[in-house]
Amino acid sequence: MGSRIVSFELCGREVEVLVSPMATLQSVLRSQLGYTGTKEGCRQGGCGSCTVLVDGEPMMSCLLPVEDVEGRRVTTIEGIAPVAGLAPIQQAFIEKNAFQCGYCTPGMVVLTKTLLDHHPSPSRDEIIDALGGNVCRCTGYAPIIEAIEAAAAGATTDAGRDAGDWPDPSGER
Amino acid sequence: MTVVEYFLPRSLAQAVDLLSRHGPDLLVIAGGTVAMPLINDGISLPRQVMGLRFVGLDEIEPSDGGLRIGATTTLTSLLRQRHVPMLAEAARRTASWSIRNMGTVGGNLFTPPPGGDVAVALLALDAEVTLEGSRGRRTLALSEFQTGFMTTALEPQELLTGIGVPAVAGETTYVKFGRKEANTPSVVTVAVRVARDGEVVTDARVALGAVGPHALRARKAEAVLVGSSLEPGAIDEAAEAAAEECEPFDDGIASAWYRRAMVRLFVRRALEELVQHVALEGR
Repeated sequence: MGSRIVSFELCGREVEVLVSPMATLQSVLRSQLGYTGTKEGCRQGGCGSCTVLVDGEPMMSCLLPVEDVEGRRVTTIEGIAPVAGLAPIQQAFIEKNAFQCGYCTPGMVVLTKTLLDHHPSPSRDEIIDALGGNVCRCTGYAPIIEAIEAAAAGATTDAGRDAGDWPDPSGER
Repeated sequence: MTVVEYFLPRSLAQAVDLLSRHGPDLLVIAGGTVAMPLINDGISLPRQVMGLRFVGLDEIEPSDGGLRIGATTTLTSLLRQRHVPMLAEAARRTASWSIRNMGTVGGNLFTPPPGGDVAVALLALDAEVTLEGSRGRRTLALSEFQTGFMTTALEPQELLTGIGVPAVAGETTYVKFGRKEANTPSVVTVAVRVARDGEVVTDARVALGAVGPHALRARKAEAVLVGSSLEPGAIDEAAEAAAEECEPFDDGIASAWYRRAMVRLFVRRALEELVQHVALEGR
């Protein structure tokens, strides 16, 4: 009872999925659509591990009933990287050792991509402000902030890539 | 997850109709930032839920020198508006970017302490709320809307549809004190508004958050300020009055004792900041 089909754009592709009432976007991404890049952390909106973009704005997918994204554009970490290679922000995270266990990284990268789309040259304070809802328990944040500064200094973002270039993680399973 | 039906009405009329048909068993959510954590953890076990994301109550517009805020306006929209700086500051100090993109101004009025900081700023601005249901529409002062811990004056068949901020006189200051700088629950939040005729205070609001079952006005402190010139003695006396009349609680963030001490400190600082700010502007 109450199950329905929800359709939305996921990393440039139209998806349709049969969901139980109020299933979170996070659980549907991971368990039904095979997009396991989005992590499950606190399920309270407090850690940022589950950050995705909805119509280009960061949201916590653990707090979002999937029905609420009907007809909207969802981008996960799988939609940040080009088919070959890495997005500049991903490369910067590697070069600056901005992760150890990596659990928070998808959320951090997704959030940072939006930050750089909005502010190509954010100040250190703006970076810190933007990351306020994303918790890392390994690296102590300094390398993460440095990675974001490095990516911003590279002055390239991956905005504007067309949908055909996005990978399809579900197709690779 | 125990939900068997999740309704997403596309208009206020549809939402009111659903509420009339399903009654108080229908859990109403907007941004989901308060309800979803409880549902995810199995603390809240609703069977029927109505989400207000698509009802179209998300506009902010200037109105008679004040502001008209739709109930489902996001905290991000409140942060971006430039009409009432204290509300932008209250939004900026609430939660994180992603949460502000989801959480709503209306929802903040239902958020239990130590959350619900936007209500503190709204209280200092004499905000009123609009409630609508199958029996019509009414408005109520925010100070009468919040009645207890997670209780409001909302009737079972009513929805909060908007918040009105009147054109009010005076300077404002907003101070939120938490255990860390960003994305933090409040130890205490203080919003003050003071109107003056020359040096003499003609009207004052001292609103407190996280030191009671909901956002509170420190009316004794307000009474101390009216007629004063915000001289140090009056500020100290008002801070002492606020510390006495607040109703702090113990939680994982702070003890009641500490919260009361911080009310004394931050009411004083908020008033001192206001005096300093006005002095600078007058130069």
